[in-house]
Amino acid sequence: MSAPLLSVRDLSVVVRNGEGEQTLLDRVSLDLAPGDILGLVGESGSGKSLLCRSLVQLLPSRAISVTRGEVWMGGRDLLALGDAQIQAVRGAEIGMIFQNPSSHLDPVMRVGDQIVEGLRFHRKLNRAAAQEEAIALMGQVGFTDPARQFAAYPHEFSGGMRQRAMIAVALSCDPKVLIADEPTTALDVTIQAQILRLLMELRERRGLSIILITHDLGVVAQTCDRIAVMRQGRVVEVGDKRDILARPQHRYTKALISSHPSMPTDEANDVVDDKVDAARLPAGPARPLVEIDDLHIRYPLSGGVFGRRRSFSAVAGVSLQIRAGETVGIVGESGSGKSTLARAMLGLIPISDGHVTFDGASLRLQREATLTKMRQQAAMVFQDPFNSLNPRLTIGQTLAEVLRVQGKVAPAAIPKRVDELLRLVELDPDYAGRRPRQLSGGQCQRAGIARALAVDPRLIVADECVAALDVTIQAQIVALFQRLVRTMDLTLVFIAHDLAIVRNLCERVVVMHHGRIVEEGPCAEVFERPREAYTAALIAAIPDIDPDRRLLAPPGLLAS
Amino acid sequence: MHRYSFILMRPLQFVPVVFGVSLITFILVRMIPGDPARVLLGARATPTAIANIRAQFGLDEPLWLQYLYFLRNLANGEMGMSIVYRIDVLRLIGTRIEPTFALILCSVLLSILIAVPLAALAARNQGRSIDHAIRFASTFGIGFPPFWLGLMLMMLLAVKYPIFPVSGYGETLGDKLAHLALPSLTIALSLSTVLLRSLRAAMVDWLKSDVTTAARARGMPESIVFWRHVLPNSIAPSINLLAVNIGWLIGGTVVIESIFALPGMGQLLVRAIFSRDYMVVQGVAMVFACATVLVNFLADIATVAVDPRVKL
Repeated sequence: MSAPLLSVRDLSVVVRNGEGEQTLLDRVSLDLAPGDILGLVGESGSGKSLLCRSLVQLLPSRAISVTRGEVWMGGRDLLALGDAQIQAVRGAEIGMIFQNPSSHLDPVMRVGDQIVEGLRFHRKLNRAAAQEEAIALMGQVGFTDPARQFAAYPHEFSGGMRQRAMIAVALSCDPKVLIADEPTTALDVTIQAQILRLLMELRERRGLSIILITHDLGVVAQTCDRIAVMRQGRVVEVGDKRDILARPQHRYTKALISSHPSMPTDEANDVVDDKVDAARLPAGPARPLVEIDDLHIRYPLSGGVFGRRRSFSAVAGVSLQIRAGETVGIVGESGSGKSTLARAMLGLIPISDGHVTFDGASLRLQREATLTKMRQQAAMVFQDPFNSLNPRLTIGQTLAEVLRVQGKVAPAAIPKRVDELLRLVELDPDYAGRRPRQLSGGQCQRAGIARALAVDPRLIVADECVAALDVTIQAQIVALFQRLVRTMDLTLVFIAHDLAIVRNLCERVVVMHHGRIVEEGPCAEVFERPREAYTAALIAAIPDIDPDRRLLAPPGLLAS
Repeated sequence: MHRYSFILMRPLQFVPVVFGVSLITFILVRMIPGDPARVLLGARATPTAIANIRAQFGLDEPLWLQYLYFLRNLANGEMGMSIVYRIDVLRLIGTRIEPTFALILCSVLLSILIAVPLAALAARNQGRSIDHAIRFASTFGIGFPPFWLGLMLMMLLAVKYPIFPVSGYGETLGDKLAHLALPSLTIALSLSTVLLRSLRAAMVDWLKSDVTTAARARGMPESIVFWRHVLPNSIAPSINLLAVNIGWLIGGTVVIESIFALPGMGQLLVRAIFSRDYMVVQGVAMVFACATVLVNFLADIATVAVDPRVKL
């Protein structure tokens, strides 16, 4: 390795609160070589983001401070710099992009002007030159019509384009090091692949060194040269990507690798015999539990006094049958209509056209009766575990409320049933007394699942219920679902944009695109031999944990 | 500019609003007990004289016919004859609208000039003593009733230190502004506190936002971060607050105009109510209502202008 461009030595950061000091970063040392991509891996709360913000003295609170250590770059210690000097380093030498471009871009400023701002301030260009350069930069990061898009506002772009804008804003200051803080976590797999490819390209073209913060080992395997694994404020393992992925030393790294929901390799596929798969499909009763027939859901777009009424079809003619006891995964990019379909399935949103039938009762023909039946026999688990639980109620109260309304359990037996439910989702019954804020994301999601189980449902619809969780927690929740489906008589509809998780959990998969089902079939079959180009592109875009299995998706397919 | 197309469409909605306002004020004014003819002619008027006056002003017609006359006159740009002043109400209002309009404009500008810098100062020093001082001072602005504040300012800045005139309205522009200074300041001192609190709260939020983190991360100095990113984002919620307060002000200038003897619409309204001058009360109420609608319309335009995400 050549002489490091950036070198962190023994960096410790503490937070001071009422009770005293708590160490957030504990003697962290790292090196970043010129032109390298360093993957910083670890769970939320492990200190990855804090480490990167500490490098440029951007600590999130006055209570947090650096107690020891040095950050060497260009022959000086960045931590010793004064306010004015570190300001010149920020952006110009170390740039940053963030997980959520929607909240990090200024919503009331034109995208182009946000790029111009950096060019004018750091590179001292005049207005006209800066504008020209900004348009060139926008072209470099993949805007198709930069001259026109210059004047657009962030909300007019998709998530992927916003992240490109964010990258252009960071590049406007011409940094040597780019810190990318979970840049693709909020994006679809196909868009993630595009953004990662863009970052690699920029590294080649501009000689950029990148620190890539992520919790996804697949992303690291595909892009990085070196990996540093963080846990509880410490770097527990650091080294070459291939070494660490092939021979992890630390217990935690091993756990991370084993919980990665990678697609099985080709050899593994041979083990899964098609005949066995077919035999496993439940013979089931003749009548499906849920029957969806030519379902349309449209939203009005503009409704001005004289404006033409136009509408947007979120779901455009979907037919689907779900048999009792089945586990069905619905996958697709954001905007493909999978969540809308799930909500319509439970009668949560009005149907524009077509039929939804639950256990023989049609939502269109006997709306009230069917809804009553659904509410007693079906339940939903939501994406955001915190916001879907009432913050003012304890977990026990939330569960008891469901039990009381359902009336299936005698009032006196409710506390006992709450205990049972919590045990069922592997939470300690003591948690009944806690409020959502006192729980971690994974624990909250378990509580959300317990709430769904409180209905004693035949059908559970889980809408992106692991998307917001760390990988190791994801793996635990998926295992929980697997156990519940196996031991209870449950039908599960599992919606996810993460194909690997669906592959692990579901028997059947439905691929959606632009409100339509493009492909459906047994999981093993669809993932091994996708019929549709779109499905193939989705599968190819999953970053595999094996660095030799490249992100192959041809760009043309993704653009469609 | 598709986003601004509501500017053309919205005025169409004003028609039913104005129509409704006219109907309501017409009925309400006539529900006030008392007879304008009797008030005009005094206690010793003969029944014949009263009947004459009633016939002259159409007060003896059935209510619905009176309302139709009122609408017909409105269509011709007249609001009927004032019983007391004996001129058309619209012309009468024309002579009184300027001081009220000028007072409201000066008050609003002054409160913005007070609120924005102080909110910025407080937000940027959140939790420090200057922030506490500004917030403490602002509770006084909210706490003191404007009539008392007006009297105190008059005592201090017109009587003890005669910098501004005590009361009345001037002839030349400079003279007018001098007469408006104290009443505007009185209103601005209470209005600015409301603005200040809402602005400061928004600024504190935006100072902690991801947008500012990102701006700082690319090396922008605090001044750019604040004036270019925090301020424009913080304005939006205060615009509607300001509009609601101006709407309230339009009806609330009565007290201030009385204290400072400004010959504005508030004064006109008070006198008209006492003399049961139906046509004037009706006319002033309609002008107030239309002004409120107009202010909210302007606020909508301003909101769309500062926040590109808003669509109306």
